[in-house]
Amino acid sequence: MLGSGAMTNSIEDITRQADLVMLVGSNPEEAHPVIGMQLRAAVERGCRLIVVDPRDIGLAAQADIHLKLRPGTNVTFAHGVVNYLIQHGLYDEDFVRERTEGFEILAATVRDYTPERVEAVCGIDRADLVSAARMYAAADAAAIVYCLGVTEHSTGTDGVMALSNMAMVTGNLGKPGCGVNPLRGQNNVQGACDMGAGPDDMPGYQKVADPAVRHKFEQAWGMPLPAWRGLKATECFPAMLDGRIKGLFLFGEDPVRTDPDTHHVIRALEALEFFVVDDLFLTETARHADVVLPGRSYAEKEGTFTNTERRVQRVRKAVEGPAGPWLDTRIFAEVMNRMGVAQPQLSAAALMDEIASVTPSYGGVSHARLDGEAVAGRGLQWPCPNAEHPGTPILHESAFPNGLGAFATPEYLPSVELPDEDYPLVLMTGRVLYQYNACAMTGRTRGLDEIAGSSFIELHSQDAEALGVVDGDRVRVTSRRGQVETTARVSGKTNPGETWMPFHFQDANSNWLTIAALDRVSKAPEYKVCAVRVEKA
Amino acid sequence: MPSLTIDGAHVAVPEGTTVLEAARAAGIRIPTLCYLKDVSAVGSCRVCVVDVEGEEHPVPACSAVAREGMAVATQSSRLTDYRRVALELLCASCVPCSEGRCAECDADGACELQALACAYGVIGDAQAGAAGVAGAGENAGAVGVVVAGPGAGAPREEPVLDSHPFLTYDPNRCIACQRCVGACNVAARNHTLTTGKRGTRTTIRAPFGEDWRTSGCESCGNCAQACPTGALAVKRRRGYRTSDVERVRTTCPHCGVGCQLDLVVKDGHVVDAEGAPGPSNKGLLCVKGRSASFDFVEAPDRLTTPLVRNPASGQLEPATWDEALGLVARRFTELRDAHGGQSLAAFACSRSTNEDIYLFQKMAREALQTNNVDCCARV
Amino acid sequence: MRDVSIAPRSRADARIADYLERQARRVRTTPPGTCPLVVLLSMVQAAAAQTCGKCVSCRDGLPRLAALLERLVACEADEKDLEDVRALADTVRATSDCAIGYEAATALLDGLEDFADEVKSHLQARACAAGVGQTVPCETLCPAHVDVPAYIALVAEGRYAEAVNVVRRDNPFPTACSFVCEHPCEQRCRRTLVDAPVNIRGIKRFAVDGAPADQVAPPVRGADTGRTVAVVGGGPSGLSCAYFLGLMGHRVTVFEAREQLGGMMRYGIPAYRFPRERLDEDVRGILNAGGITARCGMAVGEREMRDVAGTYDAVYVAIGAQAGKWLDLPGADAEGVYSAVELLGFIGDGDYPDFTGKRVVVVGGGNVAMDCARTAVRAGASEVSVAYRRRREDMTALPAEVESAVAEGVELMELEAPVRIDVDAFGRCTALVTQPQMIGPVRAGRPAPVAAGKPERRMAADVVLIAVGQDVVSAPFEAFGMKAARGRFLADDGLAAEGQAHVFVGGDCQTGPSTVIRAIAAGKVAARAIDGFLGYCHKLPGDGEAPAAWPNDRTPKGRVELAERPARERKRDFEGVECGMSREEVIQECGRCLRCDQFGCGATEEGRVQHA
Repeated sequence: MLGSGAMTNSIEDITRQADLVMLVGSNPEEAHPVIGMQLRAAVERGCRLIVVDPRDIGLAAQADIHLKLRPGTNVTFAHGVVNYLIQHGLYDEDFVRERTEGFEILAATVRDYTPERVEAVCGIDRADLVSAARMYAAADAAAIVYCLGVTEHSTGTDGVMALSNMAMVTGNLGKPGCGVNPLRGQNNVQGACDMGAGPDDMPGYQKVADPAVRHKFEQAWGMPLPAWRGLKATECFPAMLDGRIKGLFLFGEDPVRTDPDTHHVIRALEALEFFVVDDLFLTETARHADVVLPGRSYAEKEGTFTNTERRVQRVRKAVEGPAGPWLDTRIFAEVMNRMGVAQPQLSAAALMDEIASVTPSYGGVSHARLDGEAVAGRGLQWPCPNAEHPGTPILHESAFPNGLGAFATPEYLPSVELPDEDYPLVLMTGRVLYQYNACAMTGRTRGLDEIAGSSFIELHSQDAEALGVVDGDRVRVTSRRGQVETTARVSGKTNPGETWMPFHFQDANSNWLTIAALDRVSKAPEYKVCAVRVEKA
Repeated sequence: MPSLTIDGAHVAVPEGTTVLEAARAAGIRIPTLCYLKDVSAVGSCRVCVVDVEGEEHPVPACSAVAREGMAVATQSSRLTDYRRVALELLCASCVPCSEGRCAECDADGACELQALACAYGVIGDAQAGAAGVAGAGENAGAVGVVVAGPGAGAPREEPVLDSHPFLTYDPNRCIACQRCVGACNVAARNHTLTTGKRGTRTTIRAPFGEDWRTSGCESCGNCAQACPTGALAVKRRRGYRTSDVERVRTTCPHCGVGCQLDLVVKDGHVVDAEGAPGPSNKGLLCVKGRSASFDFVEAPDRLTTPLVRNPASGQLEPATWDEALGLVARRFTELRDAHGGQSLAAFACSRSTNEDIYLFQKMAREALQTNNVDCCARV
Repeated sequence: MRDVSIAPRSRADARIADYLERQARRVRTTPPGTCPLVVLLSMVQAAAAQTCGKCVSCRDGLPRLAALLERLVACEADEKDLEDVRALADTVRATSDCAIGYEAATALLDGLEDFADEVKSHLQARACAAGVGQTVPCETLCPAHVDVPAYIALVAEGRYAEAVNVVRRDNPFPTACSFVCEHPCEQRCRRTLVDAPVNIRGIKRFAVDGAPADQVAPPVRGADTGRTVAVVGGGPSGLSCAYFLGLMGHRVTVFEAREQLGGMMRYGIPAYRFPRERLDEDVRGILNAGGITARCGMAVGEREMRDVAGTYDAVYVAIGAQAGKWLDLPGADAEGVYSAVELLGFIGDGDYPDFTGKRVVVVGGGNVAMDCARTAVRAGASEVSVAYRRRREDMTALPAEVESAVAEGVELMELEAPVRIDVDAFGRCTALVTQPQMIGPVRAGRPAPVAAGKPERRMAADVVLIAVGQDVVSAPFEAFGMKAARGRFLADDGLAAEGQAHVFVGGDCQTGPSTVIRAIAAGKVAARAIDGFLGYCHKLPGDGEAPAAWPNDRTPKGRVELAERPARERKRDFEGVECGMSREEVIQECGRCLRCDQFGCGATEEGRVQHA
């Protein structure tokens, strides 16, 4: 593992210096459009492109090779590549010797992932796997770019680790145009993780479990801190149902719309004794709250976002906004004060100074510096340990966080829910260009709905024919958890037996269908694979 | 690193740098209408012509590559004449401009053609409008080959392509500079916007007519941002004049790319968004960043007061901040004290700022005494 | 799937070539007398039609230039408009990326200079300059202004004698011109718009084959005037002048230095191109006009010229360009190095050289060089090469002549500039050494050769023939008092010699070496000028009315070309190489004539006027 989940490289060096980009479970043209534009430019300048995706995403048409594998089989694919590279001596021996450990175990683990097995599990031609492996190994600088198509599986973490192995055996790390690069979904999901919005991590991925870390924060904050292991959000919902969790403070999320298995989520929220929501709008989730607190939008506050390439950039107040809502920091400080924890009302700049003081990777970040001439509007990429440090565009240039890079060796496990006689089709979910997540923001711009305003399900033409469904028909989609009605789009974009729905639209929210099966490490839900039945409505 | 002189100043630039970029590096402004760094260097406007020692004819600075020992002159009366004639031709292709109606155009004051035409005396003070170029009009009427000249013909009135929800193209204000073509094909690489009709009738085939849905256009609007006149624009542009607004540089609130954008603020309201030259977006935006990043700020259903559920009615009802926060503090304190921090959870928002999230998790760990802290990173 | 196809990007491109050729033919046949400003306008319009639309200067500048030029063409423009045109064209020239724009503007600016008189006339007189106005193309472009449509129509009807006399009304050498004329009459033949120019020379050949010139009675000579005119030089110009003066009733004496009349047609053009017996038909036909005395073997030098000038009422000097130009090469004085003029001159009197088994190299690229080379082939040479310092397409020889020479086994050595001639111990030439050239920038309208970085080439040669042009032997006449500059006599447009009251001069000696038909035209002009000088205004007598025209045959057809005898046969003798048309062929060819004398401008008041 390479450490925390962040892009090892920068968008600029990948799109301008890579000789090859392997795009796995990522559709940047729709989910990260401005990266999509730059990737298109890269391909047009001659960068090779391997698309590993169960769907015919737009970039697949420009790919040198498109491996249209079965959803949920990324681990097998990646192991298959690594095995082939090792078997044929196509790996970087020097890099493996000098920078990594555990190669022998890796070689032994992946030995069984022969092209024949990959063909059987992933449903791709073994010859395509071999040419992809050879092409990846032959490139001087090869970048792996992945997204939720890798992580949103019950085996998501395994998929990430398996991809990392590919980069490590070929030495595609620590230099421009390389790396293992997750495209983070939301504007500040990187920052949220950086800031300690996770049960195991204090800001900067300092481990709660480490007494020295807790001690440091107790000193800094002047309060004893809990030491026990916290639950991840997706683990909390079952805990709400069984009464272990009784109170929830929800800041700006809408799990009723965004989390898998909506029935399950609503039952969990209803079971709470006390539920507070801080949001801009009365969301589906907020309707279940006991108290709803109106916060401020990004246009009404100072602050910073950290983008997918670890770049901390400024958010600036443009307008006052409507009268009534409070700055969210004012709300939190007020709650703290009323609960007996002294917390002064600090400006965003002062809060960033505090963050810098307790977070080594943000040690050199301040609003003043970000606004200054030297940074020139380019932000700062962490790690940025002190005020003189220029930031770190490329991670692992000379060493990994723990010195040597350790190969991880998970075995392939199938998705939790596979199609069967009752629910014969796989359902995948994803984004479209014109909407964002639950449409909290995009849903309030007139015009977008005119372009893309309602839900649909992509069906393979073979399946559609068997179901007697034609393009544009209304269909009922049923899983073990729920049912929605939507419009069929019949094409060859997916493989036969597979379907795909966008998750934005409330007229048929796919999360009534999805399964709350979690990755064992990250606890990310398996949005990308569940079993459904489609019938003509 | 070729080194050259521009107007006598010595400049050394990386191999492959154009004369225009070299001049910019030396702080020398060469006028241009069609050049846009990294977007278009098609060389259509011919306004950037400069003299190179040893060359009989001037060369366009936007596409001429700097060479070792080059001696470039950016100003001369001959060049001024050429530029003025080119500007006259360009002004003639814009209907409002050629009819002296710049003030009626949305782009008044932001129009690059208007500014240059004023500076070169092609249009007079009356039309300088909000461009407010110093010295505008002092050369007015010096040549006048084109605008007032014979054969200018009756003003054409071509239909405006206006069906797209966000974008509009008015061929009557188009100078066919092809910046938008560069924006779509070179910058955004979407390849849906091209030149049409060709030749002397060259116009832009903008996919904003009635068939906009089937064009493959991603509605990103980078073309509109590239337009130097009022021809290709986001429709929101009709809502303000450039003199009435200020811009605030910020970061897009949608996906994780971190595009830099300028919110355009008029009278305390955000009226538009423009791409800014950030390291990850290079000035580009997508449809969400440009057209859907601020309407929600003043959406009518925005919450403006705390709501507290009335135990009797079961309904959420407006409350004061004091009531709401008092209740929050009291109930969390009770649960914490009765069942321990393990009974509480706090989920942060992956959309909010680092500072918000930092304080939120601090609140959770300190006040709620819980490590059940998370964000929507996984969903 | 990639978007690939073997089809052209624009499917029209595959089919447009035919239309471009049609347009090109239209441009090539722009009628003589077209206002040059109209040509400039249509050029600018054509350029505007070609613009890609990128550069504003070309895209918007050219249509605007065209609009301004429309005003100029319509004589509605003023000086300010002209200034605007120049300023705009200057910008287009200076700031357009590609040649579509800048070449159009450059050509326009050049044209405004070249046609400054026309521009001035449009601006000031509000009219085209004198002489602008369409006239019948073939008739206009023939230097002698022969009524081409008339004789074609007569040939079509089988009236060959009348056809011959129609030609002789303006040109007393119908036979010579049917064999060796460069036929400028065909250059802008309107038939080209439909398919290709009418083969006018071939039709004339059919006429003189059907009615030999010496057997067609010339018009009756006018009443004797008793005035005497001396013609110095019995070539095409002198004899033409003598013919017309004779018909007018004057008494003409032709002084010819050589043994026989005909000039370069006899002593320059080889018999295989123009058989001697056919030349004799024209000469006899001319002498048949009456009043002409030929004195051959009478070379006129300074003293003789003084005598002649003192004796005759008027003198026409038409001595041609008789001296072969020489190359100042080391070894050029070796045995075996000859001037082309010298060689062809001997042949004119029947003194054929014997080059059996010899290697011959001809230096030059004009018709004379080809004549020498083909003569050398016929004289038995084992190898014949032509060394030329430019390329084949730059040769001034007619392409058909070059082609015929090649067919007869002549090897063209292009881009080879002579450096020296190697000489053996006995003073005989052994080789021509050349420096290979590369073609370079255009100078004075032609691409100029420059030395290429290649080693010299040695061409073994027993005989080297220098055919690099001819000079006028002007010294004796200058001594007599005539004026010359750069080797040519000076005269006004009426051919009156500068500084001499009753001496006229024309033909090659006044223009420099040129074509037979231009020499003939000069003789005709001189005859009229002399007639006027003598105080007369004789109408040139003639007969032969043009038959009425049939409607145009618009069906595109091929052009009938004159065949040549097979190369392997013809190269063994000095007999004529070109075969005439069959009756069937000539009928078709005559049928292609669009009768511009009766349709279009030919039907207008000014359409047939050749001189004001």
